[in-house]
Amino acid sequence: MAGDFHTKVLIKPGGVFLTILIIAGAGSLISGGCGKKQEEASGKVTLTFWHSCVSSTVPALNELIERFQKENPGIEIRAQYVPTGDALVQKLITAVQSKTSPDVSWIHADFLQDLVEADAIYRMDDLINGPDSLPRAELSDFYPALLRAAQWRGTLYCMPMEATGIGLLCNRELFRNAGLDPDRPPKTWAELRDYAKRLTLDRNGDGKNDQVGFFVPIFPASGPLYAWMVWQWYPFLFQAGGDVINAEQTHVLYNSDAAVQALTLWKNIYNDLDLKTFTIDYEVAFASKQLAMTLDGPWNIPRWNQIKGLDWYIAPLPEGPVKRATIVGGEYLAVFKQTQHVKEAWTFIKWVIRPEIQALWSMKSGYLPVRRAVHTIPEYTAYLENNKPLKAYVDQLDVAQAPSPMDYQGMKITVHIAEAVEKATLGRMDPKTVLDESAEKSDELLRTQVRK
Amino acid sequence: MYALAFITVAPFLWMVLTSFKELPDILTYPPRWIPERFMLDNFRSAFEAAPFTRYYFNSLFVAITVTLGQLMTCSLAAYAFARLQFRGREVLFYLFLGTMMIPGQVIMIPSFMVLYWLGWIDTYYALIVPGLASAFGTFLLRQFFLTIPRDLEDAASIDGCSRFGVLWRIILPLSRPALATLAVFTFMGVFNDFLWALIVVSSDEMKTVQLGLAIFRDRYQTDWGQLMAASVTATLPILMVFFFAQKYFIKGITLSGLKD
Amino acid sequence: MSIFHAQQGRKPGQGWSALLFLSPTLLVFSMFVLFPVFFSFYLSFHKWNMFSADTAFVGLENYSRILRNPEFWGVLKNTVVYTLGTIPLNMSLALLVAFFLNKKIAGKKFLRTAFFAPVIMSSVAAAVIWRWVYEPNFGLLNYCLSWFGIPAINWLNDPTAAMFALIVMGVWKTFGVNMVLFSAGLQGIPDHYYEAAEIDGAGRWQKFWSITLPLLSPTTFFILVMSVIGSFQVFDTVYVLTSGGPLGTTKVLVFYLYEHAFKFFEMGYASAVAYVMFVIIFVLTLLQTKYLKGTIHYTA
Repeated sequence: MAGDFHTKVLIKPGGVFLTILIIAGAGSLISGGCGKKQEEASGKVTLTFWHSCVSSTVPALNELIERFQKENPGIEIRAQYVPTGDALVQKLITAVQSKTSPDVSWIHADFLQDLVEADAIYRMDDLINGPDSLPRAELSDFYPALLRAAQWRGTLYCMPMEATGIGLLCNRELFRNAGLDPDRPPKTWAELRDYAKRLTLDRNGDGKNDQVGFFVPIFPASGPLYAWMVWQWYPFLFQAGGDVINAEQTHVLYNSDAAVQALTLWKNIYNDLDLKTFTIDYEVAFASKQLAMTLDGPWNIPRWNQIKGLDWYIAPLPEGPVKRATIVGGEYLAVFKQTQHVKEAWTFIKWVIRPEIQALWSMKSGYLPVRRAVHTIPEYTAYLENNKPLKAYVDQLDVAQAPSPMDYQGMKITVHIAEAVEKATLGRMDPKTVLDESAEKSDELLRTQVRK
Repeated sequence: MYALAFITVAPFLWMVLTSFKELPDILTYPPRWIPERFMLDNFRSAFEAAPFTRYYFNSLFVAITVTLGQLMTCSLAAYAFARLQFRGREVLFYLFLGTMMIPGQVIMIPSFMVLYWLGWIDTYYALIVPGLASAFGTFLLRQFFLTIPRDLEDAASIDGCSRFGVLWRIILPLSRPALATLAVFTFMGVFNDFLWALIVVSSDEMKTVQLGLAIFRDRYQTDWGQLMAASVTATLPILMVFFFAQKYFIKGITLSGLKD
Repeated sequence: MSIFHAQQGRKPGQGWSALLFLSPTLLVFSMFVLFPVFFSFYLSFHKWNMFSADTAFVGLENYSRILRNPEFWGVLKNTVVYTLGTIPLNMSLALLVAFFLNKKIAGKKFLRTAFFAPVIMSSVAAAVIWRWVYEPNFGLLNYCLSWFGIPAINWLNDPTAAMFALIVMGVWKTFGVNMVLFSAGLQGIPDHYYEAAEIDGAGRWQKFWSITLPLLSPTTFFILVMSVIGSFQVFDTVYVLTSGGPLGTTKVLVFYLYEHAFKFFEMGYASAVAYVMFVIIFVLTLLQTKYLKGTIHYTA
């Protein structure tokens, strides 16, 4: 009778399926696991290194690790993939709490607050000035924006490993068709607006624009891409001489006149081109030649390279009313206090930031290097000459800026900015009004925030 | 009628056909239905971009465990409400029913906190345990049990069968339709669940198929071929279950509707 | 079966058996249903940020913040608009289809499967597909509209169109359930009523109006109540399709709740929102029951 229950109640195929599944599941649970450390018996030191390299970059990372291990035979690196984002910082904190933290990990600059408060990572100064020291001269070779972002309250807590930035992706063919010089990108805001208009056309006379000159990245402020939208607006804010928040972090600065200018530019272009009716799949639009210019980053270089018949190049962002600027972001390496191998971890980090390794890493992975000395390596300069898009990004690093750190309420403040950006462009509202509204909300948060 | 039916399934068809297409094919305008070339590339690259196999396993494991779990707990509880005499039985039962009226969102936040305090966030426990009891399931089974004539049970207990034995050997085999209905319903609900998984899961290894698909869409929103391939795989198990157990779905809905 | 039949002496140990049988359910319930319901209420009077120890009793402040907050009212309005938009469409479509399926039609089973298919699909997968349907440049809908010379609309990006897009998809996704319920209801109407009416010379429309609809009213009432409760709780499709919509025009109650609870971790405020939502749904259900119960006809 018990048999009846099993065969008749559960749908027959389901029953067999279920059994297979349970066996498979048990197997995978046993063999999977979450990075249990296996101590090497060979006397080598094993460093656990967490990273978030996407699958296309993993081969390059493996090459890097192999080379390190060759040059440092006593150290072995166990690299483990951890998906980036909020999940990463949560996972790190949980690992720290359960005493299973990695030795070294990739982190983003905005993880610093949580990690420092959990007292999880070493201050870089201790390592820099420690036994295996790093000359101060070397530190000044780094692009300043990257170092600034690696600090928390003025103390350096991690070392930059790689950088990314934003440039202007242009389609030469569409420029040519519109009677513009295909190799001359817009150099000022006015030109950007003008070119964008000239490159927006209704090609087949059906009353709808099938080609658009420039993509202003507007996404819903309550959706997953709000931070990405704001990040792409920041360069324009910087170019107008503005910043996000004041140094003491008591009130926000993103409703300054500079900010209003930057947002007005976006609003004007957005509405000139009637982007409301255009798709938000800008990558697809660019690939199918419906988009002439867009903001883009070095991670897409392989993608465009793969598309045949696409005549594209990367130009520096246009210059704003006050200066040239772009935004820089990147990943940093931090050493965790729970490690048993501080010396080896620091060796790894020192190795990674060497100019020739930075050059190698940039060439293999497509990331931007973190220091200027890479340009002294002939192999790298030659590589850049042959890889003009990457060179365009690297050249912009000199004018790259990172937003000033927001220790508290960073996410909510970014949401406020996103709301203002969305309202001004899609909602056609007055930039000054919406920025002031958002700034008031942000300031209120900062005022009532309990500070430690 | 036929036109309407076609319109209704059109999105499905498109999803399946697109998952076999190459990117330029997808972007042609006017849209074309049949792929130029059928290829499985999208499936391969979708599975490379995100560990869908793992997500799949998670979803299936959780769905099956919860389904079996509910069948057990609800049968036990329903039997108690239907056959056992104890003080306050009816009151307790109506209290149970009452909880069905409370929107899940009220319960959601503290449940999350309970799980957090137990350290169960981002584990299978979080996805499984809260779903192990169900007022709806208990209600469904209890109503069904009430319709079973008592003679068989009485005969069995005279023969010395225990309470549990009666449940196991007599009631349950006779309740196949109700159990199957509950099983199918629960499986579908858990497999398709999104909000709860979104709340309690943070790491990649624990994601369910629905969660993986949503996040996949966030990151690769312009990769239509892969997106469709991923959606096809997310829908497949349910379609299969539906195919084999259609009448139980329908019955389940009608049962829930005709209680008065 | 009298309620308090059991006397301690008469059937010894039944109470204990019952406890045993009920224990798994009761255990899970107390931890994940009962406790949360009360704790949620408790939370709604506190400011409680989950990850920082920033908690304090704030009395009715959360509730007054809800009432004072224009965003909340906007969200409520969106939810109401969504409900008003989907329900009539959903119910009429479901009734129409159920009605025709009740007659002799070829391929009935296939048709029924087709109409029910959207229900079994997960909201996420469905929303992913509909995002393509709504794609302005090469999506299916704009393509179909172009046959009629209607210019392309950016369904998901246009503040006015987005809610409409959500409603259409919502109806597509759920009308199958109501169709099944109506089918059952229709089948429950005995044929002899129709026969009697025909003898009296009633036409098709008259039969529908005077017999079908009234006798269907219990089902209709049930569907209406459940649909209202359901539409107020919509989340998955909003999250995947519009993420709260251009300029917050599709931000519905549960999305707002989710944001405050699990994006900003304001557990106290979010709990208050949850309770307000509960009250609104409860009141609506009560109102429907009070005013519409009188219109329900039961077979004699």
